[in-house]
Amino acid sequence: MPTVDKNDETPVFSVRNLWKVFGPKADRVPGSELAGLSAAELRERTGCTAAVRDVSFDVRPGECFVVMGLSGSGKSTLVRCLTRLIEPTAGTIAIDGEDVCGMGKGALRDLRRHRAAMVFQHFGLLPHRTVLDNVAYGLEIQGMGKGERRAKAAEMVEKVGLTGMEERRPAQLSGGQQQRVGLARALAADPEVLLFDEPFSALDPLIRRDMQEEVVRLNRDEGRTMVFITHDLSEALRIGDRIALMRDGRIVQCGTPEEIVGSPADDYVRDFVRDVPREQVLTVRRAMRPARAGEADAGPALDPASTVADAIEAVARTGGSARVVDQGRCVGVVDSKCLLGIVAGLDRDGPADGVRTVEKAAA
Amino acid sequence: MSSSTTSPASSTVALPKTGITVPVAARKLMLLVALTAVAAPLAAARWGSGSWPEALTVSLKGPLTTANNWIIDNRDSHWVFLYFFGHISNAIISAVRGVYVVLLALGWAGVTAGASLLAWRLAGVRAAVTALASFAVCGALGMWVPTMRTLALMIVAVAASVAVGALLGLAAGLSDRTFRVLRPVLDTMQALPAFAYLLPVVLVFGIGVAPAVLATVVYAAPPMARLTALGLRGTDKGVLEAVDSLGATARQRLLTARLPMARRELLLGVNQSIMMALSMAVIASVIGADGLGDRVYQALSTVDVGAALTAGIPIVLLAIVLDRTTSGRGPRLWAGVPQAGGTPGRRLGEGGHNRPRSRTRTATTWAVAAAAVVALGRLAGTSWPDGWTVAIAAPVNHAKDWMVDHLYSGIPGIGGSADWAAHYTGWILDPLRNGLQALPWWGTIVIVAALAWLIGTWRTTLTAVLSLAAIGVLGRWDPAMDTLSQVLAAVAVTLVLGFAVAVAAARSPRVDRLLRPVLDVFQTMPQFVYLIPVVALFGVGRAPAAAAAVVYALPAVVRIVSQGLRRVNPGALESARSLGATGGQQLRQVQFPLARPELLLAVNQAVVLVLSVVIIGALVGGGALGYEVVFGLAQGDLATGLVAGTAIACLGLMLDRVTQPVKAKAKEA
Repeated sequence: MPTVDKNDETPVFSVRNLWKVFGPKADRVPGSELAGLSAAELRERTGCTAAVRDVSFDVRPGECFVVMGLSGSGKSTLVRCLTRLIEPTAGTIAIDGEDVCGMGKGALRDLRRHRAAMVFQHFGLLPHRTVLDNVAYGLEIQGMGKGERRAKAAEMVEKVGLTGMEERRPAQLSGGQQQRVGLARALAADPEVLLFDEPFSALDPLIRRDMQEEVVRLNRDEGRTMVFITHDLSEALRIGDRIALMRDGRIVQCGTPEEIVGSPADDYVRDFVRDVPREQVLTVRRAMRPARAGEADAGPALDPASTVADAIEAVARTGGSARVVDQGRCVGVVDSKCLLGIVAGLDRDGPADGVRTVEKAAA
Repeated sequence: MSSSTTSPASSTVALPKTGITVPVAARKLMLLVALTAVAAPLAAARWGSGSWPEALTVSLKGPLTTANNWIIDNRDSHWVFLYFFGHISNAIISAVRGVYVVLLALGWAGVTAGASLLAWRLAGVRAAVTALASFAVCGALGMWVPTMRTLALMIVAVAASVAVGALLGLAAGLSDRTFRVLRPVLDTMQALPAFAYLLPVVLVFGIGVAPAVLATVVYAAPPMARLTALGLRGTDKGVLEAVDSLGATARQRLLTARLPMARRELLLGVNQSIMMALSMAVIASVIGADGLGDRVYQALSTVDVGAALTAGIPIVLLAIVLDRTTSGRGPRLWAGVPQAGGTPGRRLGEGGHNRPRSRTRTATTWAVAAAAVVALGRLAGTSWPDGWTVAIAAPVNHAKDWMVDHLYSGIPGIGGSADWAAHYTGWILDPLRNGLQALPWWGTIVIVAALAWLIGTWRTTLTAVLSLAAIGVLGRWDPAMDTLSQVLAAVAVTLVLGFAVAVAAARSPRVDRLLRPVLDVFQTMPQFVYLIPVVALFGVGRAPAAAAAVVYALPAVVRIVSQGLRRVNPGALESARSLGATGGQQLRQVQFPLARPELLLAVNQAVVLVLSVVIIGALVGGGALGYEVVFGLAQGDLATGLVAGTAIACLGLMLDRVTQPVKAKAKEA
């Protein structure tokens, strides 16, 4: 990955005050008093629809950044703005510190060809080409010779597990297989960042799970940076390092899955995450209390990043409390009482005091 | 007006789902009645009732004759002809001659083998066998040379139509503005009868091969342009977005995504262009295209059914071969073309295979095959061997004479074909014509306006009324009413028969299976050849023209209606059945209302197709406007012909707009 030897502090994507307004004379909306209007009022007064409103975020190298929201929240528009498939109305986008909005045609084409590849909800495969030629299509666009691009494409086909299907056409594949082709096509260009637009929404639940694991593997093993759009909360929690939750074009909360579930920013988010099995998302770092005398040496050891569900298993097995060990040092303990507290949601009114105390003690 | 055209309008009111349109329709009608009440007495007082008033006509005969004379005088001297039209004409003539010489040089064996190979390559073994047999029959009938002449003209005309059509379609497919401008023009051009295209080219180019090819190109290019544009515009937006996201340039996007994905429409466009071109190339015999059409034309003018059939059979065979080879039912043309979704065409390809291309046959094998074809042709000789021909004209005429004696009349109980024709003419056509001609001219206009407005929009109404008025202004009111009466009667018959057959086909898969190949063959045949059997059966007059029109329009009506009925949402049908609806109730209350767009489209198509045949029915004694065109051409009186041709175009436009439902447009967009 080209980003590895760069300064980790330079975000892959840095988005600031991004607006996308559809409608007549759209550019008068951002920055004016119209910006504060609700969607219905804005439509009534100007005939415009603001799909993305004043959005800012950074995507760090190697992370999987998930943008989540219900349909119509502007998430698909947002991801298209990143490579200017949809031209943003206002705001700045930078890729590795380089301004995207100011790019000329050639530079933009170069960005799309080599640096950011996208996977689409409805696959976007060319129906008249074979699997292999579909995967090689991006390379063909780049002007790569036939033999070379086919060899590369064959490699990608193998990587996504479609070996033996090279000569089939998209119509002869199942939805999951088609999306694997879409993924292989995106990977073939070896892009710095992968953009996913609800890639698995059209797939069956079991196949969706498979594909999600594939994505997680790509992210963890190869360190690919990803921007992943989804409307499915469990998918977001499963694969996201950080999640931005969108509503009506705005980001209402941006944080790790644990932060979103454990400390919802407002009632909307709280409502959204209400049915999430908390023990599978929240970690023992949130559940633990300071160790009392003698507890720091006994009981099973847990990593601070392990989930409450794992801790419950360990605690239930031994019957006593379990230690939370960070780099050989015991930073706290969990027992059935504090674990049950998490499951029951007793910590919902803000982070429990105990957590803060422990963190301070650890520092 | 006849019941045929009122039926769609009245069904508008009866539909349950059009609860909103009932008051709208009523309001439209009331407005129209009010307008009539004010304007009609005034108009009647000023110009009188009855036929179109003399005071409102403009005679174009003088100026047109002057223009025609000027063109004839200056054709060899004026620069427009020398440096523009002259070059076009010469280019066409030399192209046709060149192709003809090549075909002759290939010889009968070479052409037959080459055509079979091509058919095999494009559409598989069955098409190849069809081609082989068809060319052999053409030769055996002694029609080899006329067939080659028609083929040469066709090849040039089709190449030009496809090129022109593809360019126009490309422009309209890529630019919204061009599309908006071009689309109504193309739609209108497809609604006009072939005869309307003949005279303007004759005016400029005289009679001969060049104007025949030009008229053919003008007639055959619109479907290509239209389908190319629709294909390019219909490409999946999601795929195009994905192509953009990979950084494709505009050119790459067009060449690697949009064009290949529009392949189905492009092939359909080529197929339709070819079929239209054949149809027109045969009719263009009236303006000097030689070949098969000319033979039929000459034979029909002397009511020599045997000779007409001898030339008509090769036309039909040519049509079948061309259609089978290019309609893409073979595996190769469809390789890699997605089969899902409907196509905006008359034929839906079925059973396409997604077989990967085999690259075994290389360019070398094809070069060898071509060389073999040429060698074969040289060895076998240029012209079809005389000893191998069969003269069918005499036996056919013999059979026809027998029919005249035994079938024309006097069969106990059912009469005879000539009796039927006489009854149809005397009991239906004459009263209808007399009624239309006796109707006050403003009354006709009001009826047309009412129908057009109920079915379409104020725009279509305006076009329809203006077209009708233009006929009056041109002074062709009475012959136009004559033609109109023939059209209305034939459309009524077509719709009654067509709906009955379509309902049967939609309800029984077996009937559908039996009907399908018949419809396929009937839809490929040029309008012209339908005149031959009806002359044999009914003699000469308006009735055989009507019969030919019905037979020609029937397949399209059956196909559109049965497809419409079958495509009705099965959920709606199931729920009707679950409520205990009888078959008839399902048909009346669910299928017909839900298939309303298709039914209206069927009416529209019936009107357009019937008109086109009723006009060429002039060649077998149909009279009216078509006769004036033929008369004008035969006598060199272009002024008469041009005025009649314009009136035909106006009539076609009027009939198309009156029956043009609003939804038919939205559906394809």
